[in-house]
Amino acid sequence: MGQKTDVKQGTLALMVLKTLDVLGPLHGYGIARRIEQISGDMLSVNQGTLYPLLLKLENEGSIDSDWGASENNRRARYYRLTKVGSRQLQSEVLEWQQTTEIMARFLAARAEELG
Amino acid sequence: MRALRRLWLRAWNFATRRSGDQRLREEMEQHIALETAANIHAGMTAAEAHRAARIKFGSVEAVRESYHSEEGLRVMETILQNCVFALRMMRKSPGFTALAAITLALGIGATSAVFSLIQGVLLTPPPYQKPSQLVLVSAVRTDGHKMDSERGWAAQQWMDWNKNAMTLQGAAGYSWNFNFLIRNDGSQSMQGMNISKEYIRLMGLKPITGRLFDDAEYGPFQGSVKSVVLGYEFWQRELGGDPAIVGKTIRVSRWNAATTVIGVMEPGVRFLPSPGASKEPNYDVNATVDLWVPIEPALKDLKAPDWNVVARLRDGVTVQKAQQELAVLTAQQASSEKKFEGFTPKLQTVTAEMNQDGQKILYPLLGASALVLLIACGNVSALLLVRGLQRQQEYAIRIAMGMGRGALLRLIMTESLLLALIGGALGVGIAFGAVTMFKLIAIHAVPRLDAVTARTAVLGWGFAAAVVAAFIAGMIPALRVLRLDPMEVLKDGGSKGTAGVGERRLLRAVVVLQTSLTLALLVGAGLLIRTMAKIASAPSGYDTSRILTMSVTEVQNQASWNDFHHRALERVAALPGVQYAAFAWGVPLTGNNWPGTVEIEGQPPAVKESDKTALPLRSVTPDYFKLMGLALLNGRGFRSTDDGKAPQVAVVNKTFADRFFPGQTVIGRKIWQSGRDKPGIEIVGEIADGRTDDLTQQASPEVYLSFWQAGPYSKHLVIRTAADPQAIVAGVEREVRSVDPSAAIENVKTLEQIRDDSLASRTFVMRLLVGFSVIGSVLTLVGIYGVLSLSVVSRRRELAIRCAVGAQQSDLRRLIFNEGLQVIGGGVFFGVILALISSQVLSAFLYEVRPTDPATLLVTGLLFLGVGLLACWVPAWRAEKVHPIEALRYS
Repeated sequence: MGQKTDVKQGTLALMVLKTLDVLGPLHGYGIARRIEQISGDMLSVNQGTLYPLLLKLENEGSIDSDWGASENNRRARYYRLTKVGSRQLQSEVLEWQQTTEIMARFLAARAEELG
Repeated sequence: MRALRRLWLRAWNFATRRSGDQRLREEMEQHIALETAANIHAGMTAAEAHRAARIKFGSVEAVRESYHSEEGLRVMETILQNCVFALRMMRKSPGFTALAAITLALGIGATSAVFSLIQGVLLTPPPYQKPSQLVLVSAVRTDGHKMDSERGWAAQQWMDWNKNAMTLQGAAGYSWNFNFLIRNDGSQSMQGMNISKEYIRLMGLKPITGRLFDDAEYGPFQGSVKSVVLGYEFWQRELGGDPAIVGKTIRVSRWNAATTVIGVMEPGVRFLPSPGASKEPNYDVNATVDLWVPIEPALKDLKAPDWNVVARLRDGVTVQKAQQELAVLTAQQASSEKKFEGFTPKLQTVTAEMNQDGQKILYPLLGASALVLLIACGNVSALLLVRGLQRQQEYAIRIAMGMGRGALLRLIMTESLLLALIGGALGVGIAFGAVTMFKLIAIHAVPRLDAVTARTAVLGWGFAAAVVAAFIAGMIPALRVLRLDPMEVLKDGGSKGTAGVGERRLLRAVVVLQTSLTLALLVGAGLLIRTMAKIASAPSGYDTSRILTMSVTEVQNQASWNDFHHRALERVAALPGVQYAAFAWGVPLTGNNWPGTVEIEGQPPAVKESDKTALPLRSVTPDYFKLMGLALLNGRGFRSTDDGKAPQVAVVNKTFADRFFPGQTVIGRKIWQSGRDKPGIEIVGEIADGRTDDLTQQASPEVYLSFWQAGPYSKHLVIRTAADPQAIVAGVEREVRSVDPSAAIENVKTLEQIRDDSLASRTFVMRLLVGFSVIGSVLTLVGIYGVLSLSVVSRRRELAIRCAVGAQQSDLRRLIFNEGLQVIGGGVFFGVILALISSQVLSAFLYEVRPTDPATLLVTGLLFLGVGLLACWVPAWRAEKVHPIEALRYS
């Protein structure tokens, strides 16, 4: 296992939205675990930023939350994507794809091609 | 949109105090529980699993903090918390709070009161359109010499400017008129403006009811005026705001037919200065206009210099540029017309001209009140500093617990701001009272004071002053906190309420500053007190006691003039208690004389218009000189036979005789009012000089004419009484009205009152300065006392040790007195320097006292040194009482 890095500023929201899009309603712990798993345990999600972020997304209307029962039969707060949220996700995904494409092309470029 | 929604939710959460704390706690517990379960699943023991989960989750406080900051409005919450805390601290020490708040209230009250005056008098423009574009065009001599008396412009000149000046939107002529509204039960004086066609359009004035003049209504004055517009204030005051006034007729004296009121002007319109009229009786440029009269110059009078001129600059044109153009135009006019020679225009904005006198009075007072505010701030700053010392430990603990310095600074500033706002609220109360008082005592001192209303202005300025005060007072204590070393303070443990050398030095500096500011105030007050004393002992040349004056005017017609005055004078003189009675145009100190151009025997005839001699002419009945106590030096006074049938005679004063006939007799010489080809006026007497124009000015040459020959229109009835002059007022009015019920009797005043009015602006500034310096002195003495008390308290141990090793009580007392002396001495030293600089602004109010008057500086400095040492007494006495046993107790 290599050095764990914190999630880059601004990308956590996108990861949260994508997780909820793929897995459906999920509690905070589930979201954090999922992100860590997907990153191959390369990322660690800081709880100190996750919960305020969830509240922010909820205040913005991208996600909604409700109490439900968890796997261990406790009260847990489940978050799910709203319509506003999935639209936001779509546009942000598109933006990311563009950015990565540009970055990839840029990094692959050799000197003679640029000349 | 999203950002908006988020802000709204946050504000909603803040407002409803909805806290997600419960929800977050449950979520966090759940999170850790699930993590623990996962860890157990991975093979850890239960305890290990829980520990690992907690460690991974991190600081619960941190999560909670950032969660809450997302939840509500963080800044607002902190401010609110700080305020609640500050209020709690204040309640804990009500004495401190009250002292600090009252101190600030005095400073804030003083400044906001003066600010309200400035707002009302200087910053509220008259209801003219774009007043900054309006300029007054006055005449000065081309050769730069001072003119004997003010001069206006000929209609031909300003009409030409109106047509040809490219820098002006237009120029309008106006003049001052004085009439009476005739009523059968006593008439009222009316001051009005004669205005040319361009005036109303140029000034941008509107009626409040009815209409203003149309062009056809303007014309030369021909015995009467068809239509007039009344001033709002006159309409309210004299006609009870009669709603049906438009269309009614009124009778105005000297107009031989009734005139129709066509409208009422909007409120607040005052006179434009009319320099030529400024010496006329009843002229008051700061009054509101009573009536407007539409006048166009008559063709035959186009060259008479009867007009004042106001002009409006074009957009973007500077005063200098317009002045240059008008100077060129005027020079051209002078080359074709001899009468226009010798004068050139001088432009000044209307606002600058109107504010001239007000500025002279109010700016020094603003400075003085600002000093009081600074002194108050110094005091509160010292108080806060002392309190900060007492709370050192609390601050140290806060810092040790992780409170940021910035947050602590905000907490402390919140306290001083809150204190200042409480002080501000009290101060606004004081300011309301002060403004009401100012209006009562300063109505003759500050021009246009009647326009001042102390409402929103006081509130606004009070609040602004409070914020400034909070900043100044809180800054020093707050900065100290920045340098606070928590380790040192906590290690020290018990040192509550004592001050180190550094703190004491800082406090001393604050008090030195306070002392020097106070001294500057005291010196200012002292200079004015000396001025008033000098004026009181200035030789006026006449006697002001037991003299009653009133303006009495017969308003009917020329035919009854002589008869009315003779009969009225006879009846008044016969009243019991009356020693002498006289009619006069030119009562001392009213600015009431009649500047006339005269030619004097032996003087070369003036070639140019601007070289003519203009002198104040007065006209009096025979008993006047005896009544006033003006001694007859030569020749004779007037006789009742010096009337219309006898040759004209004059009496001159000593200055006249000395200037025009040095070393010769003046009796028998002649002066001419309208050309040497006419029979002249023979000088038959010479009287002693009197400071009749202004108590602080040396007498100028004066010419007195016989009242029965000169026949002035409006004049004063002057009466010397045997006892209190006020007691005979009713009797005099009755006698005058029995001769003619419609006679106007106004401005009933004793000569003492007139004298006081003429000194009113000086008196007002002096009273305020004295008031301010008393407040400042008390605050400063409290400050000195506070510093020394603190010094004694924090040096108790040192004092006790000194005592134990054999110091006498007198030694301890001397120690404290020395410290006090250093503070006061430093303050006096810097104060004298400050006073030397700041007293310069008072020079306009001083009379025979220089702003750097050494006697005033010395006396004030010594006085303050003495009183300041009194403030050292109690702390020194306390120092004496220190017992050597205390030294042991401390160790």
